[in-house]
Amino acid sequence: MAIEKTDVVIVGVGAVGGILAAELGKAGIKVIGLERGPRLTTADFNGHDELRYFQRQDLRPNVKREPVTWRPNANVRANPLPLLNYGNQAGGGTVHYGAVSWRLHEDDFRVRSNSMERYGASSIPEDSSVADWPLTYADLEPFYDRAEYDLGVSGKAGNLQGRKIDGGNVFEAPRRREYPLPPLLADQSGVIFEAAARKLNYHPFSTPRAILSHPYGERPACTYCGFCQAFGCHVGAKSSILVTKLPEADRTGNFKLLTGTMTYRVNSDNSGRVTGVSYYGPDGSDNTIEAELVILAPFIYDSTRLLLLSKTDKFPNGLANSSGQVGKHLMAHISAKVFAAFDDRFVNIYMGPSAQKHTLDDFNADNFDHSGLGFIRGSQISVSPADLEAGPIGTALSMNPPPGIPRWGAAYRDFLAKYFARYASIVAQTENLAYADQTIDLDPTVRDRWGLPAPRLTYDWRRPNELARVDFMLRKMEELGHAMGAAHVWRGPLGSGAPGAHHQGGTRMGTDPKSSVVNRYGQSWDIPNLFIIGSSTFPSMSGFNPTLTIQALTYQSADAIVNRYRKNPGPLA
Amino acid sequence: MTEHDATRRAFLVRTVVGVGAVAGAGLLPDAHAQNPQQHNESGAPAAEPTHANHVLNGAFFNYDGAATIAAFTERLMPGAPGKPGARDAGVPNYIDLALAGAYADLQDFYRSGLAQLEAYCRKTYNQPFVRLDDARQDEVIAALEAGKATGFTWPAAQEFFNTVRTHTIEGMFADPIYGGNKDFAGWRLVGFPGAQAIFTPADMQSKQAFTRASMIGLQAQAKDPERGA
Repeated sequence: MAIEKTDVVIVGVGAVGGILAAELGKAGIKVIGLERGPRLTTADFNGHDELRYFQRQDLRPNVKREPVTWRPNANVRANPLPLLNYGNQAGGGTVHYGAVSWRLHEDDFRVRSNSMERYGASSIPEDSSVADWPLTYADLEPFYDRAEYDLGVSGKAGNLQGRKIDGGNVFEAPRRREYPLPPLLADQSGVIFEAAARKLNYHPFSTPRAILSHPYGERPACTYCGFCQAFGCHVGAKSSILVTKLPEADRTGNFKLLTGTMTYRVNSDNSGRVTGVSYYGPDGSDNTIEAELVILAPFIYDSTRLLLLSKTDKFPNGLANSSGQVGKHLMAHISAKVFAAFDDRFVNIYMGPSAQKHTLDDFNADNFDHSGLGFIRGSQISVSPADLEAGPIGTALSMNPPPGIPRWGAAYRDFLAKYFARYASIVAQTENLAYADQTIDLDPTVRDRWGLPAPRLTYDWRRPNELARVDFMLRKMEELGHAMGAAHVWRGPLGSGAPGAHHQGGTRMGTDPKSSVVNRYGQSWDIPNLFIIGSSTFPSMSGFNPTLTIQALTYQSADAIVNRYRKNPGPLA
Repeated sequence: MTEHDATRRAFLVRTVVGVGAVAGAGLLPDAHAQNPQQHNESGAPAAEPTHANHVLNGAFFNYDGAATIAAFTERLMPGAPGKPGARDAGVPNYIDLALAGAYADLQDFYRSGLAQLEAYCRKTYNQPFVRLDDARQDEVIAALEAGKATGFTWPAAQEFFNTVRTHTIEGMFADPIYGGNKDFAGWRLVGFPGAQAIFTPADMQSKQAFTRASMIGLQAQAKDPERGA
């Protein structure tokens, strides 16, 4: 059993861990990063292979070796989820993500207050635990700016210091300056979507993405090959942590990355502080790292799982859990879809960056009047390939044929043959509220390849507020499909109540140690030398993809650790 | 054709007697993967294939399993002139190789699913699946899809249908390196140009089918930029 000492140990070297490694390393802090998966390189992504990367999920956890179970409610047994949509390598999800990079709206940080002020307390479902964030948009704006410029994000400002700019997102919160890179080129689906949205008096724009529209630093521009979501970028134009912060961390000389390692416990002593972590090495060895500061930055399930697995006599409910809030308030996006297919033209939606290509924000957040609608909050509405990636396997499996056409046989073959290159899907990524009974805990029977209990999710999005929101968005998207001039417009299936993408919650942040797990810096209220950073801390989720907000929060935490905590290791808030 | 494919083809098509055409990268000679009725204009019952003349076990499937999967997947994605189907694309070969490798944990699922399918067909029609005509085969598949086929325990009828459908789509459209999508048959069917490294602004602005470059896979490139769409 090896014992190693360092200043800071980071568990999980993805969107969060990579930024911390570089920022703390530059400040002269010795960092060890523990990563479950391998460290790949751009050269590994030369062959775009839909079966391997999309269908068999090669850049994501193996569902048999690293299972996560799900049940719709506490009365039934949980079964392993068939797909885990997060990263499993150095760089984490930023390696395979679609790189959609949003700043949240101002009201996304104060959902409870805003809803009460505008619609009254009764507008919030009684059982919803949605809460305001312990910080405002203005607090985070400098760190959003830093993330966009440090990593490389392409887009067009819609609100420059309060001045609304047509062509950008006019609903966005004020930003101090333009994006570092102009928007990515629109493909034909974006062109059609833009025209239809303008016809309906909406405000469409090219989705901001952490993909380079022009060369930036030493990295080249996007080639529009279309293999983004589920794939690694073959030229390094996607601003993944793999090609941005990890090389920077390497250059500090203060960062050591240990791949193929599984952290199974955070160690603590009787003084109420954590002392480091224990992990299994790639050879099965059992090892310990002693550190002054422990930062948990894995995907959200593993933050909760590690805290629960690390319980001691002093912390009988798990670490950082005096509030009893660890594992609660799980949230996830649901993607409601409408398909639009054209008889008179090709769309070729497989060209250009995949995931959400062009977007309108008119029905997101509180950007529209919800009076009498029966729900609060909204959804990003975008044009996208059927399952965010645009290859024929994903398209065939995700695009149900329109009513009247079966799912197999000659008619189905002809449907695919005719419309594969002539369709677009319109996707609503809905903000779902937090509920305390949507949870992550330890599965009592299913174990992973290391013998650790699998994370178990208890979740069902099909609640009245959520169903009303989805129904509203589906009708808006059908209108859009017709306005696009499609010959055929039909709805995609909504599926079961299982969580969709962008899971958030489990270690929520707040202002009160009694009702939250961490403060705005991700610092545990109970244990000041333990930080938990990532979307697990979000008190509400917004209709936007979370990664840029996760990254902005990480820059904020890095800043606080380097400039304040290091001088005075104690509570930051 | 890759070296890998060539080796595999030589192995699979090692004994083909009495069949004119050599099979493509697939488990079965074309004549036997097809429905017997298609080759029997008289309407008389076709002769039962004799195993001795067609020793074509796959990497996983035995002869009967291979024949059934070939017939089943061809009904899911039937070929027609100018429209390559499952057999044209080598879907049975894809599934066979996957079950011998990446999907080895599904071997029992397929064994049991095929046995239940056979039992259902014999009980309902007094014939194995491969001996039914197209319409009857479609009836059977529809009963599976609807969960109405009786006698299925594990896998359930719908589960078996959904899995074979998913694997048929994979075999149609996965890169040819995996043993299906033969000569880009699936990509030609739908007009997918494969793993292009770059699309130009002109490509992005076009309202027409993409024809600027040949289809490209991991180890092979189409000889011509023709599109199936």
